[in-house]
Amino acid sequence: MTDATQSDTAFRPKPSLPPPANTVGVVGWMRKNLFGGPVDTVLTLLGVYLLYVILDFVVDYGIVNAIWTADSYRECLDINKGEGACWAGIGVWFNSMMYGRYPDEEQWRINFGGIVLLLWLIPFWLPKVSGKIQVGISAVLTFPFLAASLFIGGDIGIFLHAMTAIALTLFVSVWLNVATCYLMGKSLPAVLISVTGFADKDDRLHKYVLLGAFGVGFVLALLYHLSWDLVEVPTTIWGGLFLTLVISGIGISSALPSGILLALGRRSKMPVIRVFCTAFIELFRSVPLITILFMAVTMMPLFLPVEFNPPKLAMVIVAVCIFAAAYMAETVRGGLQAVNKGQYEAAQAMGLNFWKMMALIVMPQALKLMIPNIVGSFMGLMKDTTLVSIIGLYDILLMGKAAGQNPTWLGFHTEPLLFTATIFFVLCFAMSKYSQHLERTIGGGYGRR
Amino acid sequence: MSIDTQLPDETVHVASAISDEVVIELASVNKWYGEFHVLKDINLAVNKGERIVICGPSGSGKSTMIRCINRLEEHQAGDIIVNGTEMGTNIKNIDAIRRDVGMVFQQFNLFPHLSVLENCTLAPIWVKNMPKAEAEKIAMEYLERVKIPEQAGKYPGQLSGGQQQRVAIARSLCMSPTIMLFDEPTSALDPEMISEVLDVMVGLAETGMTMLVVTHEMGFAKRVADRVIFMDQGEIVEQNTPDEFFTNPKSDRTKLFLSQILAH
Amino acid sequence: MAVVDKAGPRKGGRSFTEIVNDERYRSVFYQVIVAVAVIWAANYLITNTAENLQARGMSAGFEFLTSTAGFSIAWSIIDYEPGDTYFDVYLVGIANTLIISFFAIIATTLLGFVVGVMRLSKNFIICNLASGYVEVMRNVPLLLHILFWFTLSAALPRPKNSLGLGDMFFLNNRGLYVPAPIPGEGFGVVVIMVLIGIAAAFGVTVWATRRQMATGQRFPAFWVGVGLVVGLPLLAFAALGAPLTFDYPSLKGFNFTGGADVPRAFCALLFALVLYHTVYMAEAVRAGILSVSHGQTEASYSLGLKPSWTLRLVVIPQAMRAVVPPMISNWMNVVKNSSLAVAIGYPDLVAVFMQTSLNQSGHAIEIVGMVMLFYMTVSLTISAALNYYNKLVQIKER
Repeated sequence: MTDATQSDTAFRPKPSLPPPANTVGVVGWMRKNLFGGPVDTVLTLLGVYLLYVILDFVVDYGIVNAIWTADSYRECLDINKGEGACWAGIGVWFNSMMYGRYPDEEQWRINFGGIVLLLWLIPFWLPKVSGKIQVGISAVLTFPFLAASLFIGGDIGIFLHAMTAIALTLFVSVWLNVATCYLMGKSLPAVLISVTGFADKDDRLHKYVLLGAFGVGFVLALLYHLSWDLVEVPTTIWGGLFLTLVISGIGISSALPSGILLALGRRSKMPVIRVFCTAFIELFRSVPLITILFMAVTMMPLFLPVEFNPPKLAMVIVAVCIFAAAYMAETVRGGLQAVNKGQYEAAQAMGLNFWKMMALIVMPQALKLMIPNIVGSFMGLMKDTTLVSIIGLYDILLMGKAAGQNPTWLGFHTEPLLFTATIFFVLCFAMSKYSQHLERTIGGGYGRR
Repeated sequence: MSIDTQLPDETVHVASAISDEVVIELASVNKWYGEFHVLKDINLAVNKGERIVICGPSGSGKSTMIRCINRLEEHQAGDIIVNGTEMGTNIKNIDAIRRDVGMVFQQFNLFPHLSVLENCTLAPIWVKNMPKAEAEKIAMEYLERVKIPEQAGKYPGQLSGGQQQRVAIARSLCMSPTIMLFDEPTSALDPEMISEVLDVMVGLAETGMTMLVVTHEMGFAKRVADRVIFMDQGEIVEQNTPDEFFTNPKSDRTKLFLSQILAH
Repeated sequence: MAVVDKAGPRKGGRSFTEIVNDERYRSVFYQVIVAVAVIWAANYLITNTAENLQARGMSAGFEFLTSTAGFSIAWSIIDYEPGDTYFDVYLVGIANTLIISFFAIIATTLLGFVVGVMRLSKNFIICNLASGYVEVMRNVPLLLHILFWFTLSAALPRPKNSLGLGDMFFLNNRGLYVPAPIPGEGFGVVVIMVLIGIAAAFGVTVWATRRQMATGQRFPAFWVGVGLVVGLPLLAFAALGAPLTFDYPSLKGFNFTGGADVPRAFCALLFALVLYHTVYMAEAVRAGILSVSHGQTEASYSLGLKPSWTLRLVVIPQAMRAVVPPMISNWMNVVKNSSLAVAIGYPDLVAVFMQTSLNQSGHAIEIVGMVMLFYMTVSLTISAALNYYNKLVQIKER
């Protein structure tokens, strides 16, 4: 520091001194955040007391006095006099609350479907994989058919066979794409084109190569799928968390395309279309979901031809889809408004027509901005789906209620509710934290500015 | 504004390349925003290769006028004919005109989700159905011409304002337009970046491109323009050669405007 | 405005391709397609409905509204007897929906402000208690909250061992019993005095502001206003000899008589609605306060305004712009979500009309239509008010 050769005018920074001891470290933190003044101190003490009361109760009820093994609710009450939870019942009813009355030996189908969906979505989080939008669209558009043929089983008809085969083909290609991206550093289409020797041919021929490859995959998948032989499980005995997820899953995946169309319609310059879309959105957003559900189960049988008698689940799903579409339309509209007007103008000035402008310029930007909101909508829809229990579908809530009405488990009400609440809390909390994370990372997207 | 320091007056005027052919014709064009009459009976004929600088106070309708030429704004009365094609409600005509007319915006309006190269190849691929490889080749040529080929792989958000605007110019040129519209291309730029964009525009003028430029860069007007148009309150107040316009303005309104803009 | 349309092709005799490519014709064409599709769908539904109704031997129409409903309603805020008509049931449902929404909205708004400010507290414990509350409530479905509190309330003691508060309030597994106010002679004067007090306070505020603007002198308008609103009625109340008595609930045999009873379902629903929606209110308040940039506060301090003035003149007016819209849409959601009452048997509009009346009369279309009409009216009224407010406070920009 003290270089003798330096002249006296040279700038010598003063050494940094440590701050006063009572402003840093644990003491400093506590002074600042807990005991900043008399009011703060009182509040802190009150808060700590409240926390103590809550935790004390939770530990007593949920752990100390809780019963973990019992054969009936009576047995639990005899032991802890109702002062603790009877978690034994959850063990007994766990299966019902997850799968409803879906036959035990067929439940692997549900688990299998769930695993396929998870696998399908994993490429989203793999950084090197290209074509994430296509992965997402393929999953949203075709997985429902695969799931339907898997969960319902029995004689599913040629349309569902074909759609399932498409889904299977796409699922396999998604993972082949992952493989090529990681092993060869190229996307699957690029690999296919270069393997078949079309790389240096005209671009316009490339799509035929891809279509051909898809056709081969489709035929193979169809042949494979035709060999499936699954027992039919009618939707009337579906239930539990499985049913909740099916309804909200279909709701959200149908809501996205229909919400986009409704939002575009609402922003359209054509008055008839705009009025129709606005009326639809406003009508179904202004009434509670429960009235839409009641409408579906009471009015839909009247609306359909006399000989038609759709299952209740189908009517409920239609209601949920309408509801979700109306809400998603507003989310999408928000996303579209967030895209700078200049982007529309630049696209038009280049000569792109409406649909190309939407597909290439506006939607990619809007969707990216909307992802947190879409996750939020899904969360909301999943919570709202519990309303189907009011009209008698055995979702996780009603299944829990049914437990308390079983002769051996009479009065077993609070624990299923707490258990269900925990499941929802874990799912929704994770999702909302993830969407907040997305909000932070996406907000700054697109490089420096 | 110290524009003159960037493009000194003594610079030689870019050689004129006007032909007799009229490529843009505006005949009694009128436009309203609701009750507000924003364009009042505009008549203008632009010849091929002609370079026009349009200036005027804000709200005078100069941006609206050039935005009508590629129908970013709809005019309610009058005729606009571009390259012999009538601009009306016919979608094919609108498409044809937009393919022929390039536009550069004040706020660049680059597509932030696409890389610089993708920004440039988007329209050739999707509007002209050009093979990707060819589109990329052309795009690289133009990126070289605006002197930023090395940024091709970057995203707009990673570039400076001046670079973004040069990409925007290259993006328009990739459609090989016969007419270029510039809507205040340097107004959103930091002072030290204005000249790099103006240089590119001067270079473009040297190729004989038909250009309509809304700008307040009077140095650029003196050096490049064949004609300067002054607009106020939705009307063309005065139009003349740059020499006459700057040294001998006829209308009082023009004199006032010039004294305000050149005062500092 | 008379616009000569010359934008289209000038000369007559358009070719087919010209018409096909004209955007005006295209737009008309698309709209006609949509209109035809909607009309066709409506027609299809109406035809089917007519056939279905015929097959079931029913007729559509609103005549059933004047026929006797014949069922009793557990609790209602307005008078109702089983002999009343379906239309009375509709009104009872609306009244019950509105009364619970009213209390829920008031409690939600007040509690929401508290929790919202708590979340912004620098105190580590307070801030995190509030955050924990928000996360737990927000991530569990409202229906679960409602069922949970309803189930818990079943474990309250029987009427005989009611939890009491000073012989006036009693809580048991049937509900809450509170003293019923009985206005005596001249109570109307007190009510009028309240109104006069409010008007006078408003007048004083306006006058004080004017005077301050004109002369620079301040006047403690707020405290004078409070004095007027509270003092005038109290004065009248005392002068008239306290013309208000209460009917206290008391235990007679196995149940309470007298006073006003509030059913258990009402309490559970109110509790759940308030706990759940407070979260959204709190988030609105928090976001609103955070939306005012720190620079605004700093600018205000540097002008010499003291913190309380800064809050009142700079921060709150700006924060309210951000708080009011989500707050009002939260109110709307309270009204809508009060329909979950049907799950625990509180007789709201959906429960008494859409469930009981519909099951009994079978007039699905009319009843669903009427219920939706009610919610839409509420919603459109609220959003009209919101639009008006937004217009009022909109920051003027170019």
